[in-house]
Amino acid sequence: MISFRQVNKHYGSFHVLKDIDLDIAEGEVVVIIGPSGSGKSTLLRCINRLEDISGGSLTVGGVSVHDKTTDINALRRGIGMVFQHFNLYPHLKVIDNITLAPVQAGKVSKEEARRTAMHYLEKVGIPDKAESYPSELSGGQQQRVAIARGLAMKPNVMLFDEPTSALDPEVIGEVLSVMKLLAKEGMTMAVVTHEMGFAREVADRVVFMDEGRIVEQAAPADFFRQPEQPRARDFLSRVINH
Amino acid sequence: MDFSFVGSYSGDFLEGFKNTIYASLLGLAGSFVLGLVLAVMRIAPWKALRAIGTAYVEFFRNIPLLLVVYIFYLGLPSLGADLDGFASGTLGLMIYTSAFIAEAVRAGIQSVPAGQMEAARSTGLSYVQAMRLVILPQAVRIVIPPITNQFLNLVKNSSILGVVAGFDLMYFADNVNSYTFQTMETYMVAAAFYLILTVPLAYATNVLERKLARTG
Repeated sequence: MISFRQVNKHYGSFHVLKDIDLDIAEGEVVVIIGPSGSGKSTLLRCINRLEDISGGSLTVGGVSVHDKTTDINALRRGIGMVFQHFNLYPHLKVIDNITLAPVQAGKVSKEEARRTAMHYLEKVGIPDKAESYPSELSGGQQQRVAIARGLAMKPNVMLFDEPTSALDPEVIGEVLSVMKLLAKEGMTMAVVTHEMGFAREVADRVVFMDEGRIVEQAAPADFFRQPEQPRARDFLSRVINH
Repeated sequence: MDFSFVGSYSGDFLEGFKNTIYASLLGLAGSFVLGLVLAVMRIAPWKALRAIGTAYVEFFRNIPLLLVVYIFYLGLPSLGADLDGFASGTLGLMIYTSAFIAEAVRAGIQSVPAGQMEAARSTGLSYVQAMRLVILPQAVRIVIPPITNQFLNLVKNSSILGVVAGFDLMYFADNVNSYTFQTMETYMVAAAFYLILTVPLAYATNVLERKLARTG
């Protein structure tokens, strides 16, 4: 579904992504972890071209993401994204946040978009907030709206960029359980997170990054029991043992 | 002070007042449209557009208004164009103010967090759709107070027409003064006419600002 081949990226003289090779299969849940500044968010943002790459190739569903002839808007309609700071549109009601892209970019009728939006609001557990504005919602509720917004385009892939990092501890669980539900339903997911519990429980595969490289990839059971690389071991001991 | 002369010169004052209103309205409309276009140019994802927008704004924002007006009144005719005082004054006013409006609009657009554009683009909206549906609606409320301030400045700056025989309020006030030598009184009357335009505008700005602050 998603395939990185020798992808490199530079920000000026800073080499953010180094020789990335990564495949994410349909229906797979891949959790990307690593210290801050290791390039994990950048890697995720390359998948829908929020970031350009400097070299290598990256395809989603067989389509080259960074090819100038690719219709990027069409490609992005098939890739949902959830951000750390939700990025809901503050001037629009919850329902309009969700229907905006389906109506404007997806050319779906208003009625159908509303039905779809309500369906996903029920799925994330807050259908009663449809007519509220984002500022009237808690962080956890806002992030669940953002997930519904991502789902409303009926994407083949969902990208999650630290979806719980800006949340109060007591509402992290409600967002994670929505993500678990999606994973169970077979959604292809790439998740950058610091939630090791989620990685252990939900991921099909854990990808550990450090200094722009993928240092280790393994099934979560193996990775969390005994990471092979010293850097991964060091990272785990710091995030788990305290 | 003796204002008894005003009655016999009321025609002059009113003619000037009318032209000041014309120049202001034309300047307002023109500088607003031009300012919007320039602001969008300055943040466009195309380098050439950005460069043109930036050059325009920095040039006209950083030279005196009088000089801009002279470019149209004295400069262009020397190259063969034919502009009267009213046209060159109003054009100068329009072009000068548009640079300030462009800056206000650009700042407003850029104060909308980058995540908004990213979220919109990530759902498959085009740059233009994202701008129109997500960014500009949020930028408008930020931009309205500084723009109305620019409009206020524009009305006052329209007195520049008096220098280039633009037949505005200031021009006629100078005329009346030269006939009557009632200098203080004449300019007081002119000030009163300007206040008729600017006080309501300032008041409307304040009301709007309070309203936006409440709903923001």
